[in-house]
Amino acid sequence: MQDEALRIEDLHLTYRGLSGTAFSKPGAYGFFSTIQQHDDDAELISGANLSLKRGETLCIGGPSGQGKSALLRVIAGLARPSSGRVFYFGEYIPPERLTALEVAKRQVGLVFQNGALISNLRVRDNIALPLRYHKKGSAEEIEEKINMALDLMRVRDCANMFPHQLSVGMQKRVAIARSWAMDPMLLLMDEPTAGLDNYNRRNLLPLIDNMRTLFKTSIIIITHDLMIAKELGCNLCFLYHKKLTEPHSFDYWLNADNDISKVLFRDLRTSG
Amino acid sequence: MENAEERIGASRLTLVGKIFHHLGMFFMTRTLGQQVCLFFRAIASIFSKTRSFKTDSRNIILQTFFTGVEIFPILFIVATLFGAVVIVEVMTLMGKMGFDDVVGNLMVVVIIRELGPILTAFLIAGRSGSSLTTYVGSMVINSEVDALATMGVDPIRYLVMPGLIGGSIATLIMTIFFSGSAIGAGFLITKAAIFLTGNALNLQLTWDYLSNEILKALTTMDFVLIVVKPLVFGCIITTNACYQALNIAHDVRQVPKATSRSVIKSFLYIVCADVVLSLFYFFDYFNELSRII
Repeated sequence: MQDEALRIEDLHLTYRGLSGTAFSKPGAYGFFSTIQQHDDDAELISGANLSLKRGETLCIGGPSGQGKSALLRVIAGLARPSSGRVFYFGEYIPPERLTALEVAKRQVGLVFQNGALISNLRVRDNIALPLRYHKKGSAEEIEEKINMALDLMRVRDCANMFPHQLSVGMQKRVAIARSWAMDPMLLLMDEPTAGLDNYNRRNLLPLIDNMRTLFKTSIIIITHDLMIAKELGCNLCFLYHKKLTEPHSFDYWLNADNDISKVLFRDLRTSG
Repeated sequence: MENAEERIGASRLTLVGKIFHHLGMFFMTRTLGQQVCLFFRAIASIFSKTRSFKTDSRNIILQTFFTGVEIFPILFIVATLFGAVVIVEVMTLMGKMGFDDVVGNLMVVVIIRELGPILTAFLIAGRSGSSLTTYVGSMVINSEVDALATMGVDPIRYLVMPGLIGGSIATLIMTIFFSGSAIGAGFLITKAAIFLTGNALNLQLTWDYLSNEILKALTTMDFVLIVVKPLVFGCIITTNACYQALNIAHDVRQVPKATSRSVIKSFLYIVCADVVLSLFYFFDYFNELSRII
């Protein structure tokens, strides 16, 4: 089990669990309130199983509104599953301790769909915030790391701007740089390419590839852009009808004869 | 419910365990209990492993500046006018009724004990408490708080703790300023009023007399509570403000609601806490009484 990054066993999530771990409430309160079953609870995800190796990349696709982002929030500890077990690097966190802070200690990073940059800090300070908070090295080392992250995502020019001065795509790149600077072992990305132009999208994909090969980072990408899976050569799985399918390669899905392929790959098939 | 109890093993608990479980659940599901929990978590987060004196003190000083210094002009005017009114009323009324010897006592009770801390707390709740709620609330809406948590930055430590410490310190300083300017500047305003109206009220007011009376009336308990009261009020204001803000459930319309709730509930809690703290005076009073008898 040494090379395992993430394993999800029989995960169930209700809409009630989505509100998750409110920080104003005591941790135990969230736990006790989630396990109280209600009859009217509609399930968003019923029975998801997933296993991810270290250094592996996985794309999760599916029609919108199927709970892809919710699944990512569960993995990041922001939403509380009603049942099921999640293992991070072979370690099981019991549900009463499953909070975002506890998950973040295991070097799990999350890139939000809207970037979620701290709006009163400059771009540079945004990237520096977690590094300074966790005291990752001296001031010079942190500065060096920030510059490296800025260069990687090509946002060096706007290092002294505030997030509201940036476009959505640039905010997303800063958010990715911020996550990257923390040296995550498992990186969760919510729609990383949405809002990026083709040029930056092309730049982003090799970066993801580099993180996989150089740093052995495991990456889960939630995306509508199924071509990413092909370009990264990684497996794809789908959240479809509240279930998570088995991961398969892009070509398998392209040629398979099932509902998902028919619905989602129709355009790709015809265009060749 | 049975199902839930089975799953956490609550059905296997002994009777004492069950009682504590239900007590805990009762406490945790109430707003007050959650606020008390938030307060203690914020205090505990000061000592967390990632503490850094430099950043923390910077955040706290910024918060103190924001809460205290920027409110000062308004607070000063309120305190001065209020102090002048109290001095005039007390002096005229008491002088008429022949209770000249309790003037100092009344001043201490009205300004230093009760209305000074409360009015300061109200002003700070209305201005800094509401802005803290809006600030944290919009961070919740933009999922910035979630982002902080996923980076391993504890939102309670990063957002609530500086507000809590800075707010309490600022409330303490501002209360002392309030009492000082109510008596000092209030005296000057009263003097000016006497001068301008040609002493129509027939007041014989000197600084010697006023300060002597007030110093005579001050007890040790006053000095203790002039520190304790503002600190308690400051904690109440900031904890309540942050609690209301962190409780917003991803809906922009909830921010103004949370803000008004934050201010109104702060008023309520402040008055309740004031009553509880005033009990100390009553005990003091009864002790004095029994000694005399």
